[in-house]
Amino acid sequence: MIKNIYIKYTVVLSLLITSFSCTKLDFKPTDTIDALKAYRNIKDINLGVIGIYAILDNSAISSSATAADEVMLPTENTVGNTDAHRWLYNSGSGSVTSSYYTYYTAIDRINRVLAGIEVLTFPTADLPTKDLYLGELLALRAYCHFELLRNYASSYQNGALGVPYMKVSAIGYPARDPFETVIANAKADLAAAKALIPASFTDKTHITKIGVSAIQARLALYEKNWADAITYSTEVINAMPLATRALFPTIWTDAADHEVIWKLKRVATDSRTGDFFFRQSGGIVLYAPSFKLINTFDKVNDVRYAPYIKFDATRTGTKSQYLVNKYVGTTASPGMADVKLYRTGEMYLIRAEARAESTGDAAADLNALRTARITAYTNAAFADKAALIDAIYTERFKELAFEGHRFFDLKRRNLPVQRLPEDAINTFGAVTLSPGQAQYAFPIPALEISVNKNTVQNPNY
Amino acid sequence: MRKTLLFRHPSNYSLASRTLLTIKLTSLILLLMCMQVSAAGFAQQKISVTAIDMSIKNLLKTIEKQTDYRFVYSNQTLSIDKKVSLELHEVSLDEAMKSIWKETNITYALKENNLVVIYSGVKSQKDIVISGKVVDETGMPLPGVSVKVSGLTIATVTDLNGSYTIRVADGNANLEFSYLGYVKQVTTVGNKNVINVTLKADTRNLQEVIVTGYTNYTREQSASAVTLVTAEKINDVAGLTVDQILQGRVPGMSVISSSGQPGQNAAVVIRGIGSVNGSSSPLYILDGTPIEGGYFQTINPADIENVTVLKDASAKALYGSRGSNGVIVITSKKGKAGQLVVHYTGQYGFSNLTEPKSRMMNTTQRLAFEEGVGVDFGRNIGPGWTYSPKNPTYINGTAAFKTNADRILDSLRNINIDWRDQFYQRSKFYEQQVSVSGGNENFKFYNSLNYYKQDGIAKRTGLERYSLKSNVDFKSNKFSGNMNLTLGYSNSSFTEGEGSTSVGTAMSAVYYALPYENPYAPDGTLIHPGNKAQYNILDLREGSQALERLFNSSSKTDQLKSIIGTSLAYQILPELKISTSAGIDYRNSTDQTYINPDSYYGSRSVSNTLGGKGRFGEGTRRNFNLISTTGLTYADKFNEKHDIEISGFYEYVYNNYNSFSFTGFGLDDRLPGTPAAITNSAAFLPNVGGSKTTSALASFMSVARYTFDNKYTLTGSYRYDGSTKVAPKNKWHGFYSGGANWNVKNEDFLKNSDFISVLSLRASYGISASPFSSSGDYLYLATFGSTTYGGLAGVRPTTAGNVDFDWEYVEEFNTGFDLALFKSRRLRLSADYYNKITSNMFIDQPPSATSGFSLLSLSSGKMRNRGVEFDISGDVLKTKDFTWTLGVNAGYNKNVILHVTDIADEYPDGDTRILKVGLPYGTYLAPQWAGVNPQTGEAQYYNIDGSITTVYNLNEQNVTKSGSFYPSFTGGFNTSINYKGLSASALFSFVSDVMRWNNEDFYNENQRYASSNQSVRMLEDRWMKPGDIKTLQRYDIPRNFTSKDIEDASFLRLRNVNVSYAIPPSLLEKTKVVKTLKFFVQGQNLLTWTKWRGLDPENNNVYGRFQYPNARTYTAGLSANF
Repeated sequence: MIKNIYIKYTVVLSLLITSFSCTKLDFKPTDTIDALKAYRNIKDINLGVIGIYAILDNSAISSSATAADEVMLPTENTVGNTDAHRWLYNSGSGSVTSSYYTYYTAIDRINRVLAGIEVLTFPTADLPTKDLYLGELLALRAYCHFELLRNYASSYQNGALGVPYMKVSAIGYPARDPFETVIANAKADLAAAKALIPASFTDKTHITKIGVSAIQARLALYEKNWADAITYSTEVINAMPLATRALFPTIWTDAADHEVIWKLKRVATDSRTGDFFFRQSGGIVLYAPSFKLINTFDKVNDVRYAPYIKFDATRTGTKSQYLVNKYVGTTASPGMADVKLYRTGEMYLIRAEARAESTGDAAADLNALRTARITAYTNAAFADKAALIDAIYTERFKELAFEGHRFFDLKRRNLPVQRLPEDAINTFGAVTLSPGQAQYAFPIPALEISVNKNTVQNPNY
Repeated sequence: MRKTLLFRHPSNYSLASRTLLTIKLTSLILLLMCMQVSAAGFAQQKISVTAIDMSIKNLLKTIEKQTDYRFVYSNQTLSIDKKVSLELHEVSLDEAMKSIWKETNITYALKENNLVVIYSGVKSQKDIVISGKVVDETGMPLPGVSVKVSGLTIATVTDLNGSYTIRVADGNANLEFSYLGYVKQVTTVGNKNVINVTLKADTRNLQEVIVTGYTNYTREQSASAVTLVTAEKINDVAGLTVDQILQGRVPGMSVISSSGQPGQNAAVVIRGIGSVNGSSSPLYILDGTPIEGGYFQTINPADIENVTVLKDASAKALYGSRGSNGVIVITSKKGKAGQLVVHYTGQYGFSNLTEPKSRMMNTTQRLAFEEGVGVDFGRNIGPGWTYSPKNPTYINGTAAFKTNADRILDSLRNINIDWRDQFYQRSKFYEQQVSVSGGNENFKFYNSLNYYKQDGIAKRTGLERYSLKSNVDFKSNKFSGNMNLTLGYSNSSFTEGEGSTSVGTAMSAVYYALPYENPYAPDGTLIHPGNKAQYNILDLREGSQALERLFNSSSKTDQLKSIIGTSLAYQILPELKISTSAGIDYRNSTDQTYINPDSYYGSRSVSNTLGGKGRFGEGTRRNFNLISTTGLTYADKFNEKHDIEISGFYEYVYNNYNSFSFTGFGLDDRLPGTPAAITNSAAFLPNVGGSKTTSALASFMSVARYTFDNKYTLTGSYRYDGSTKVAPKNKWHGFYSGGANWNVKNEDFLKNSDFISVLSLRASYGISASPFSSSGDYLYLATFGSTTYGGLAGVRPTTAGNVDFDWEYVEEFNTGFDLALFKSRRLRLSADYYNKITSNMFIDQPPSATSGFSLLSLSSGKMRNRGVEFDISGDVLKTKDFTWTLGVNAGYNKNVILHVTDIADEYPDGDTRILKVGLPYGTYLAPQWAGVNPQTGEAQYYNIDGSITTVYNLNEQNVTKSGSFYPSFTGGFNTSINYKGLSASALFSFVSDVMRWNNEDFYNENQRYASSNQSVRMLEDRWMKPGDIKTLQRYDIPRNFTSKDIEDASFLRLRNVNVSYAIPPSLLEKTKVVKTLKFFVQGQNLLTWTKWRGLDPENNNVYGRFQYPNARTYTAGLSANF
């Protein structure tokens, strides 16, 4: 009888233990969305579009500033990696190669959302929204490839090494498309986008119809397609006039967005735009405005000077008294500023340059811009085309300082990067970067070269 | 014959039923219950009877009713009608019998199962009654020892006090004393009436049983390569977690602690790193329950009886898809039958920082350096040049300027801060432990309580732990089981930013801060970047900034961990056993971070402290792991020669992980350290996050062993695993192993050899797989995750997925032998050779950037680890009182990558390493440093063709000549001396043939960072003039990453020294309370021999970068048994 009790206990306990040990093996992830759930309807497409804007950043601003002559390396920057500023970068330097990944990741996201749209059937009521998203996606695809081209093309000429133009999401190992192929594809995407985005869509934190025109204008400038440049910049200028002198500074505090065509919205949880120039932690000026830039300004009358450059007399010793003021943000969130990608000011300069190169009153555009920026400005006259181009370039230097243009502008005309001696005190001789040097074009990342046997590096690396 | 004779019923069922009751209540009031039950279990059967003219037959019946004794007699022997009158009160059986049979020639014998045989005692007059006491080596009484007359069935067992009484026919009889775990002893009776015996613990027996978690085979029957580490090597080691304690103990196992943070786990790698992107950490099993690696801070090493490390396929394949990185089977202490033992251990101690090889400049050196750089290069890196009399500004300056400059430099010279004193401390260590254990043959328990507190050598760090352990083992006839409970609570405090090069963290500030930076104003105020404007500050405040952060922030983790395991077995037939076991490993970690809103660190409005009013964050991580195993074991031995054991099991392992965290800002400074202080508003937008994941593994398995004639053994196992972690098409997979052992010693030609006492050869081959890291539950799926833009939610693809994702299979061949020489096995050697190939290895292959992902998870790699390992130990000297033993163990492993992916034979592994076919994993990639040009002071590099250049070009010059960061040769050696009560032992461990990127020199010897403090080499070993042969280049030449930065991180460490003295038992006997008493002192990491220049060569990272160094610890303590 006692024996029976034992057996009962054993059986009961065994059953207890085995019963809660089920055999379930078909778990599904709870924290990730799989491919089937990613794009189900128009709302999901919207999330996908937002996911693309989310990855776009200000890396073009930092890489262009680092390699160009608009910033100088102050002695107090003992904490940053300053190799890029000294033109010591190569294919292993993340500072100039990381954009390659950023933009292709964005492009892959674009192509995935496009593929998602393709397989969906939308209710009629959603069709206009679908067209808007489709237009934004195509414009974004063109923009991203264009940014890649600005950064990584061996030069901006037909036949030059460009970047692969990705029209579908694919794991592959493509060769580099030549410069003109990228331009042609981007133009096609932009044209298609323009037809899809309604003029009524005016959210400046997204690409609008006017935004497409602005991208087309800049693309035409790099293509040296002067007629297109004039056409598209005029479209923008007519739709989006320059900010007044009084309102101009409010652009940079994000209090207003006059003449801003497209900007990347930044909120408190994002990484700080201004951190590249000024590190909040420790209060270190990493890069200061170059004296070369400061010297070009009429400090009293130019309304651009104060929002662009800050002078702080309380900074002493090895500390830089000049600071980049464009991205200081607000007291509440220092260093946080929207990233202005396209402004009307640039459109005037594009049209001026295109007119100077072809036909039209380039001086009028230049003077119009200067009048909008400089108090009591009297129109200037220019002796010849060279003087005009030179003046336009100086104006671009000032107007578009720290907005990701200078290095690429110099590259457009094969001009050397030339620093003043006082800007080069900490660069150990990095004073001139001539077009013949490898670093004149940013390198394709080493990893890409090692895994993609079909690609080639830019010359001289 | 009586019916009662035929019915072999359990002798002490009352005890058994109480035991069962106890199982149910154990989890509630375990400690109390154990003691109560054990006390009851020892109750003897006393006899009380009053008989007036009662027949003897009826009298015996009365006693049978009262007790468990059953009487057997022949009617012829007993004159049934004989009547007796007597009164017995609470007497023993012996007394009762003597009273009943007095004046007769009848006698009795007590047999097993309380049978009392009554017979005509013609011979009884010659019987000799022998009594005595059995004790162990420490003098503790041993109850339950079997005392048997050789060749006869007459036997008894010792009682609670270790005492016994037995009758033997004559003085020629031999008495056998035997007890599990002790060496059997045989004594001739002779003319003695009292025989006291001391049994010696049989430590060899422990060595001979190999516990794999599913099987227990003797070493002679096992084909496995395993290493056993016993309690005395694990217990009492101060300030280390279980995994760290194993360093230098197991050949072929590399244990490298990751940090000096108290309670931090170690990186444990067995037989070479077996995976690139998968998990390479071994599987840990505690008393049958798999437990998480990396969370040992709540487990008390003093509760561990032994650790078995399974290294070869025949043992690992039992664990199938989880076993390929080796299995560490931890067995905790069990109670021993006998008197209740109360054991106390207490120890106290302190820890210090070890001395690094590189030194930073002091004030005099620093000012000279600043001046020198100013003079030679016109660069101003500090006041040493600004106010230098050699500075043109000074030379051309006014008298007032000069006076002021002199005054400033003078005051700076009076400051000389060694920043190590600011951030490190001499830290205290303290541990107390009490354990209670005991039981009888059928019921054993072990309970312990431990309190442990260790401050870290870095300020504000430490670990506090409370742990409880309770083990209960019970058996009753065919039924047996056990219940193990481990409960631990720990509280760790960390220093933030460890291992980072950024300014403002404690670990880097020790190096960066300038020696003339006095952190405090004369009134004691800390001068930091936030208030320095009020003072005349000439330094960078890098030290004070870090101090300010240290004092105003905290990072803590408390952890609650419980491991519960239970197993039950029922012997259905003598050959067949059914068993079931279940285990739970549950961990709840709560992480808390706090930044004081009133501090400078908390007052800046950055994403870390949004809105500039501090931060409070809390998060919980909950891990739940459940295992259930049920199966049958058939074991039989027939025809004396055939020994067979076959088992089949079904096992299910389930894991779920949850985490949740929030971070709030805008703290109210009146409410420090609580979420109540958080402001929820747009300006102080809180963050909330969390995750959940579930995985499971189901397995069918079988294990078999066949031994012929104790000479030849064949073992085999097969396991069929189904997992949720691989692509559905690869869900189920089989794993197998086979092995053979030849016990050469049992062959006729060796059987009688006194020289060779043990010799066995073994070989095994099998296949297993490496476990997935917990983060990779659904690596095969393409996934999308969330992102935000302008505060709006968006969706983005996160992983590309891989529909072919499969296990990482590891095939391993092993062969080895065990050899012991001399009769007393004075010299013991064990050696193994293995060849291990990981195929289908997870490769996170970077695709072309155009694919949109930085990584593709492929299963395409192949890697080989091949090596030898040995363990040799011997008793150099052995006399009655004096023993000196020496032991050496080492493992050499050669790792090579055999295949990467179909599209590439190599790809960069991080920014300084390469994964390349033909090279070991972890190989560094760096340009070769060619020294400083003595004429120009320029830095020189080797081109790939061997020519020397001053132009640095990483891509053109990168070579793989700098070695790998996984050590290939590791091991340890130990020695111990015992002389009477005094013993001393030392353990050395070494890690050799390992390189590591020392990233500290890059910051401390670099003109780019020269305004922060620099190493003394920047002043004394830098090229200054033509002809100088120096380590560092001219100041204005940029410093680049080269082979010079990849340093030899090999080390030999005097890991542990322990000296103890046990008070002789004879002295303690008088106290009657204390049974044993031992005093000990020990030291950890006392000496280190290394070429490494950083703080600590023991580091499992790919770089040395301001990590928390391991400490040198001294402790003293005592342990006592009551």
